[in-house]
Amino acid sequence: MDSILKPLYYAVSWVMTVVHSALGYILGKDSHESLKWTLSIVSLVIIIRVLLIPLFVKQIKSQRAMTVLQPKMKEIQKRHKDDRQKQSEEMMKLYKEHKTNPLASCLPLLAQAPIFYALFRVLNGIAHDHSYVPGVITPKLLLSAHDAKFLGAPIADSFLNAHITSTKLVTILLIAFMSATTFTTQRQLMVKGMPKMDSSNNMMAQQQKIMLYVFPVIFAVSGVNFPIGVLIYWSTTNLWTFGQQYYVIKRNPTPGSPAYEELQKKRGISDGTGPEVISPEGMSESENQSRQRQQPKKKKRRR
Amino acid sequence: MKIFRAIVVLPIKFYQKWISPGLAPRCKYYPSCSQYAVDAISSYGLRGALMAIWRVVRCNPWSHGGVDYAVVQTPAQIQKSSTTVKGAI
Repeated sequence: MDSILKPLYYAVSWVMTVVHSALGYILGKDSHESLKWTLSIVSLVIIIRVLLIPLFVKQIKSQRAMTVLQPKMKEIQKRHKDDRQKQSEEMMKLYKEHKTNPLASCLPLLAQAPIFYALFRVLNGIAHDHSYVPGVITPKLLLSAHDAKFLGAPIADSFLNAHITSTKLVTILLIAFMSATTFTTQRQLMVKGMPKMDSSNNMMAQQQKIMLYVFPVIFAVSGVNFPIGVLIYWSTTNLWTFGQQYYVIKRNPTPGSPAYEELQKKRGISDGTGPEVISPEGMSESENQSRQRQQPKKKKRRR
Repeated sequence: MKIFRAIVVLPIKFYQKWISPGLAPRCKYYPSCSQYAVDAISSYGLRGALMAIWRVVRCNPWSHGGVDYAVVQTPAQIQKSSTTVKGAI
């Protein structure tokens, strides 16, 4: 396994050292070592996420194609009102027929897993087993990376191997941050960013419960094993996901989603028919939908 | 053999119960990749595991998704579809 992933360890180390030395020109060659190493991890996230942008654009494009499908989606929702399973089965069939699918798939997430793991190994190498660190990190760099700190906690240090209390505190802080960003992102996507399925209040409650209690526990259990640097990676990529999603929900939402209707309304008032407003037929369709959608929601609340 | 399959499926079931509901839906297929993996591994063992991996690979930004069962019809599915018909009537 290690021999397969070795090129990846090398790549991760290489990116970090290149960013580290590039920042030397701005921050001074032998000063601000902690900041330089922290930013080198952040840059790793930025590079990966920029490389993943085409996948994201691809997804946005297929979401835009959804406008045409709205009447049919509504029909499916009506036909299988009480059977969520059947509803999603029919939806998937519809997407396939029209060769468009608004869902993201796991690939953008899974693509990051090897990088994440490589960073984990490299940082652990820096902390414990120096012989293990790829050659691009010279002994001098190794020493400086070993001493680099984020908010007072060594970036190669992890909760379970903590040498100082600040490692523990920063781990807890980052785990809280990761839980909060995951919560906000997923919540926003489910409440505003997706075409409404007939999701019951029950499902929303379940989601909230899991995000509030289960995710922090999962993050905590895994987070205590990870070096601070890995948690920095994780937090940064979470923040990126949130920013990316926020932008899309505001500027280019999925047709049929609550965010889309909000934008349509806003555009309808502000400039009438902008270039991105769809045909009158589509407009009445989405208005129709919003009127019909609100009713079951209100009923459920009263019950 | 059956026990071994059940153990392999356990983490996927954990994901379905405790992780997936907290995240917004993202799978392009029906049934979802995780359900596909559970069905495939319980029915076909190692071959099922390979099927599941291939399914996750197929569930990518270029795919159109669709309806794709691991097992053509399990008794559970037949039961499910019959209750759907009853519900519709």
